[in-house]
Amino acid sequence: MSSLTITDRDAAAGPVVEVTGDLDYTHAAALRRQVERLTLRPGQCLVIDLAGLRFCDSSGITALLAARQHALAAGADIALAAVPANTLRILTVIGLDRIFTLHPAASTA
Amino acid sequence: MCRTGQDPESSETEDEADTDALFIALLEDSAEELYESAPCGYLSTLMDGTIAKINATLLRWLGMEREAVVGRRRFTDLLTVGGKLYHETHFAPLLRMKGELSGIALEMKTADGGRLPVLVSSTVKHSGEGEPLLIRTTVFDASDRRTYEEELLHRKREAEQARAEAEQARAEAEEARRQAEADRVRLADALAVLQQSLLPASLPAAPGLETAVYYHTASPDRLGGDFYDLFPIDGARWGFFLGDVCGKGPEAAALTSLVRYTLRAAALHDPEPATALATLNAVLHERYAASGDVRYCTAIFGVVDTGSRPGHATVRLASGGHPSALILRAGGHAEFLPTPGGLLVGILPSAPATTAETVLEPGDTLLLYTDGLTEARTGPTHNSLYGEDALHAFATAHAPCTPQEAIGALSELLDSFGDGLDDDTALLALGVPAVPPHPLPATKHDR
Repeated sequence: MSSLTITDRDAAAGPVVEVTGDLDYTHAAALRRQVERLTLRPGQCLVIDLAGLRFCDSSGITALLAARQHALAAGADIALAAVPANTLRILTVIGLDRIFTLHPAASTA
Repeated sequence: MCRTGQDPESSETEDEADTDALFIALLEDSAEELYESAPCGYLSTLMDGTIAKINATLLRWLGMEREAVVGRRRFTDLLTVGGKLYHETHFAPLLRMKGELSGIALEMKTADGGRLPVLVSSTVKHSGEGEPLLIRTTVFDASDRRTYEEELLHRKREAEQARAEAEQARAEAEEARRQAEADRVRLADALAVLQQSLLPASLPAAPGLETAVYYHTASPDRLGGDFYDLFPIDGARWGFFLGDVCGKGPEAAALTSLVRYTLRAAALHDPEPATALATLNAVLHERYAASGDVRYCTAIFGVVDTGSRPGHATVRLASGGHPSALILRAGGHAEFLPTPGGLLVGILPSAPATTAETVLEPGDTLLLYTDGLTEARTGPTHNSLYGEDALHAFATAHAPCTPQEAIGALSELLDSFGDGLDDDTALLALGVPAVPPHPLPATKHDR
């Protein structure tokens, strides 16, 4: 069965949310809730670290877009780090590779 | 039984003397005394039931005086109404017939208005000539037994009631289950009707074109978010689109409905594909994103024109974040019609859509699909994705083929994914017939 673990920590530039597992219909709402609890200050950058992401469907994309909206509403920026190849392919098809700032790894974000 | 220090002989003699004394005492207990004080009731009645003789025990039980009973009352007068009835209808006839009865349960009434449950045995005494003379009856106090039986009956009634209540509860649960099932069926019917309104089961016939569609529903109770349509724009031009809205269920259905009618209306206003998608983007963004909701769709919108060259069709399409269309050429190969750089529709105030154009020759088939197909999980552990390369190889293997053949082969492919196909999937194929349809016989036109 699918599973999802979400942890967050504070880095110099802003909070880093690590997503491990499946961002699917069953679990995507958890990421939305977790991100909505974060308090972002203007000028910060919210980093979603997807290094441990196994699977991402349209519900997962929606959760990422909701995170983006949450960050922009607070005057903060958002970046995706370590996007796995299969998810990057989807992001490219739907044009989100040019909407999100992408970083190879969370440390470089 | 030796008594120490006594002569065994003399001891024996003493015992015998004791026993004798007891017998003498018993013998003094006359038959009359035994009759009167026996531990059961005795009475003798004439054949008409009049009480001729009754013992003291029974009088005591009933709380009556001998003078008030003997010669004045019948046996049935001593019974309760129920007992009387039973005596008249069963006891007496049976006794007359058989001459004796034993252990019949009856209820007598006592002088103070109480009831005395009894077991009655009777025999008829006959004369030397065989004529019935009188009835001898013994009466046993059955209060204890009756109490026991009533308790038994009470428990049985309780058990019966508990069983009835359990049966009632079971029936109610069954009724609730039936109701729930009926509700479920009704809801499923309603959803199917809704789905139907979002998704035409068949496409209108477009002259000079062949079309086919297929929709795979991953979950019957979660309205899918995939959609397609084909509709006339003017004489030779047809609009078509296929896409995928985010999410599932009623909200996705509402979004699908909005998308479908927005695209149709936009195309009638300006059939340029990128313009239609831009209109849709503006509508969705204003409707949802402005209020903080994340709603979007991917879509390919196209216009096919059969009027420019007979037997051919020009296709111009634009994609908003949707997987590339695939063309199965008449020559036996397949190619994607790339539309890179198009963005999801509805997430930004204005979104770029990428336009591409191609010509369908006779025998060419254009295929639009949603990512349920390419994102299907395959392999023994469902760990790998089907992917665009596999789809391209599949199309190449089947080219050339008609839209119907392409959809047929792909629906079989979808079936073969089994559990790996966990998303709704929509397929739309349109093509130009390899052999133009024969012109109608001239005679038909003449008439």
